[in-house]
Amino acid sequence: MSADTKAGLRLNTGSQPKVGALRALSIALAVLALFAIPKLTGNEYWLALGVSFATMSVLAGGLNLVYGYTGLLSFAQVGFFGIGGYAAALLVIERDWSLWAGVAAGGGLATVVGLIIGYSSLRLSRHAFAIVSLSFALLCMIVARDWVELTRGAMGIPGLPAPSMNLPGGMRWRIVQPADFYYLLLGFALFAHALIYLVVTSRLGRAMRAIKQNEPLAQSHGLNPLAYKLLAIALSALLAGMVGGLFVFYLTIVDPSIFDFYYTETMLIMVIIGGPGSFWGVLASSAVLTALPDLLRFTTDLRMVLYGVVLIVAMLLFPGGLGGWLQRRRVARWRRPHPAAP
Amino acid sequence: MTALLDVRGLSKHYLGLTAVDNLCYEVEAGAIVGLIGPNGSGKSTCIDCISGFQPADAGQWFLDGRDITGMPPHRIARAGLTRSFQTVRAYDEFTLIENLCVAAQETDGVGWMQALLRGKHLRSVDAAADGRGRDLLATVGLADYAEAPAAILSYGQRKLLAIAASMMAKPRLVVLDEPVAGVNPTMVKHIEAVIRKLNAEGVALLIVEHNVDFIMSLCSRVIVLEAGSKIADGHPGLIRSDPRVLSAYLGKSHAAEYGECGG
Repeated sequence: MSADTKAGLRLNTGSQPKVGALRALSIALAVLALFAIPKLTGNEYWLALGVSFATMSVLAGGLNLVYGYTGLLSFAQVGFFGIGGYAAALLVIERDWSLWAGVAAGGGLATVVGLIIGYSSLRLSRHAFAIVSLSFALLCMIVARDWVELTRGAMGIPGLPAPSMNLPGGMRWRIVQPADFYYLLLGFALFAHALIYLVVTSRLGRAMRAIKQNEPLAQSHGLNPLAYKLLAIALSALLAGMVGGLFVFYLTIVDPSIFDFYYTETMLIMVIIGGPGSFWGVLASSAVLTALPDLLRFTTDLRMVLYGVVLIVAMLLFPGGLGGWLQRRRVARWRRPHPAAP
Repeated sequence: MTALLDVRGLSKHYLGLTAVDNLCYEVEAGAIVGLIGPNGSGKSTCIDCISGFQPADAGQWFLDGRDITGMPPHRIARAGLTRSFQTVRAYDEFTLIENLCVAAQETDGVGWMQALLRGKHLRSVDAAADGRGRDLLATVGLADYAEAPAAILSYGQRKLLAIAASMMAKPRLVVLDEPVAGVNPTMVKHIEAVIRKLNAEGVALLIVEHNVDFIMSLCSRVIVLEAGSKIADGHPGLIRSDPRVLSAYLGKSHAAEYGECGG
């Protein structure tokens, strides 16, 4: 079988540059298409869906980094999202900070909080981290509701001003129209996914996957699990905090419902259906699952029932998500006896 | 001259049960040393402690004169002491070559920023690891499967992969925990040959094993544990006829019989 295998591999490596170019081209086209949508349609509903996709895909992408790649079940993402939202909103309206600075500070604060949670609980176990992250998310909601002097309580902070941003070349961009927010959130999502992609395709991502698959083995190979886990948590917290900061200005309000369990649920479903540890799988499922409730609008009564059915069918067909399905096919291909070469 | 591994007074207790009791031993550079003993004699505890996977209650141990007592496992591995596990471990989703390359990445001096920016230096370091990985796969006889996921490997092949992975970071000492347990006789011969080849390249090995024939033919020195204490330490030929070893393995009365028959 060895000669046959080698021939197959040569063939594979020979076609790889072509596949790579094709893939790069299709990604570029998809991004262009996404950015062209506001030019093609003024339909605000589509733009709202786009904003929702951009936001949720960043949250799901960060969760995928922590849960899918590093193997840490985390409920803390929504906490980072809301902390970023509150911090950005308060700094912009009370301290007169620019949108950029507010969003960066929100992301930074979320990162620091993430590192504190991670460092304190990961010294015990993965399970401790899951529990602490859940408690943290619940605590965030309570603090947002009850620390009235800081957060203004249950009513939240309504009427956030339309932010503006200095562009290179001395231009000033006032973000008012739905299309503006669409560009802003989609642009940030592009940046966030590029960063996640850079990490997961590097040896850092490889180390995270190694730690998820077999932590003692990884330790015996010199990998420090705590360091990589904290890296994953910090990066996911940073991106969640920043996207939270942008998202609240789109909503024009931040209130305790930004910590709602709905977000946690949605991003978990996105990661699980997409396949934990699969970058493209989770991105694809983020898009599909953002659009799905809308596609099912033809029947208002059965809408959520059908949504549930789709999820169940997806779990039956793809127990490891899209990414897991691809991995299983890869293993099956190698297990199949290779036919003798003619 | 100092030994490569110098263990002094290692002790470990579990709730009053003494697993390892004031154990002292050395492994010389480039040697193959066997660590044997009946079930529960403290072999696994001993290597779990020196590789950092379990905290010891007392004792100190040095690798190449450097105190590695109480270090976490990843730092001991980086210091040059790697190990395999009794329950064979592999990264099942990775290809074999990925399994090996990940085992070299913490000791090649590439930082996180360099890893993300992907410069020329990283590419040459990665190419070197890839080359070394493929050489090791050829040494253990798995070169044809370099691009296959580890999940497809048989039990014996996984043991070979684990041995190759433990060699990736160019360690001074590799501790193998039962490298041939549950493996068929042909594979035992193959693993023995692989270990000799790797040893010829200069790495020292400390091997825990129940297969006494395997240990006797491979090792230049054998350490025998019973109830957490060292009862013999020396050339395999001497160990074979040591009355304390015989009684530990066979019981007192049988040991006497065996001795009368002339061994």
